[in-house]
Amino acid sequence: MRLSVAAAISHGRVYRRFGLSPRSRLDLLRNLVTALVRHERIETPWARADEMRGYAERLIDYAKRGDKDERAMRMADFWLTEKDLIHKLFKVLAPRFQPHPGSYTRLLQIPNRDGLDRAKMAVIELKGNPLPPLVRPRRDSDKTLLNQLLKGYRQDAQRAAAARGTAV
Amino acid sequence: MSCFGCFSLSGYRVSSDGKPPKFQPPPKPVIIDRKTQKEERRFLSPEFIPPRGRTDPLKYYIERKDMIQRRKVFSIPEFYVGSVLAVTTADPYASDKSKRFVGICIQRGGKGLGATFVLRNVIEDQGVEICYELYSPRIQAIEVLKLEKRLDENLMYLRDALPEYSTFDVNMKPVPRMEHEEIPVNKVRMKPKPWSKRWERPKYNIKGIKFELPEHKMKAAQKWSQPWLEFDMLREYDTSKIEAKIRKEL
Repeated sequence: MRLSVAAAISHGRVYRRFGLSPRSRLDLLRNLVTALVRHERIETPWARADEMRGYAERLIDYAKRGDKDERAMRMADFWLTEKDLIHKLFKVLAPRFQPHPGSYTRLLQIPNRDGLDRAKMAVIELKGNPLPPLVRPRRDSDKTLLNQLLKGYRQDAQRAAAARGTAV
Repeated sequence: MSCFGCFSLSGYRVSSDGKPPKFQPPPKPVIIDRKTQKEERRFLSPEFIPPRGRTDPLKYYIERKDMIQRRKVFSIPEFYVGSVLAVTTADPYASDKSKRFVGICIQRGGKGLGATFVLRNVIEDQGVEICYELYSPRIQAIEVLKLEKRLDENLMYLRDALPEYSTFDVNMKPVPRMEHEEIPVNKVRMKPKPWSKRWERPKYNIKGIKFELPEHKMKAAQKWSQPWLEFDMLREYDTSKIEAKIRKEL
């Protein structure tokens, strides 16, 4: 009678396995979180970025609790290996994200890596960063049916307003 | 905290016929106790909080409605792990068709309608543990004989503790409590090793045992500690908002 699950089944497991051990997985993600807080936009394999996203957002939630909170300070001390970033986290990032309740990061996929492994890469960035935007929102072309109808409606409204203006 | 006593001055009135006035005892003072009216600290049974997962919250909502229905018919008192309870269940083969068992609650498991609690007692030098379902229709009565909280959520180590910590008198009287339950400071002493589980290891995180092991054994047990686990933020399950929503439903 088999009492434990077979070796290769991982139904419902949410945490990916990185590095040599659970400790090394956390160290890897910790380095990535530190890099994100320092540079505010980094390019890594997609799996690492996805895993790191949850930790980064929870870290910012802890930072929102404030400087004086003992637990928040201990978390920041563990997760940020470069100690000058703790100041940046509490004084710059926490006020920046104070109005938003969640989702402080943006994850976008990139063409695969150039090396031999062709790994799926992604860019993860904090919203509101000072760097130039990654995605430029493009307006729809003027020649689509909906846009033509809207343009006609706008012109009719302007003509009606002008006619009312001259009549009164 | 605030008590108002009204004292009447009838004793000082001069009576008409010159005799000293009949002694009238003052009316009893009215004590308004604000401590019992704390709204924020109301107890929410742990089986109401849904587990973390990807199931539809509708399932838990329907289950909660059924639980509330059952609670309206049969009152389930507030109790914690470590309190002494007496449970009467229906039994077709007993002479009065019911069975009574007294024991200390060592764990509360399960969520929703399948919530269970395990009671332990030592009867005639034999340890007995019975697992009851809170919402089972066979349960006729649950009385809390002694409401108590312990430092841990799971008292399985009582199996390896000295039997005096698990024996409770079957006919003991309920102990009345006025103030809020406190966590007792006295720790449990254990039988000599071997135990069923290595309770000194940090994986079990037990705070209620007084370990009498030598220092080097305690240090060797710390080798299995995982200090990074407390910083792993994604494992935390914050239930405050969920609890607030459930309280509103109740």
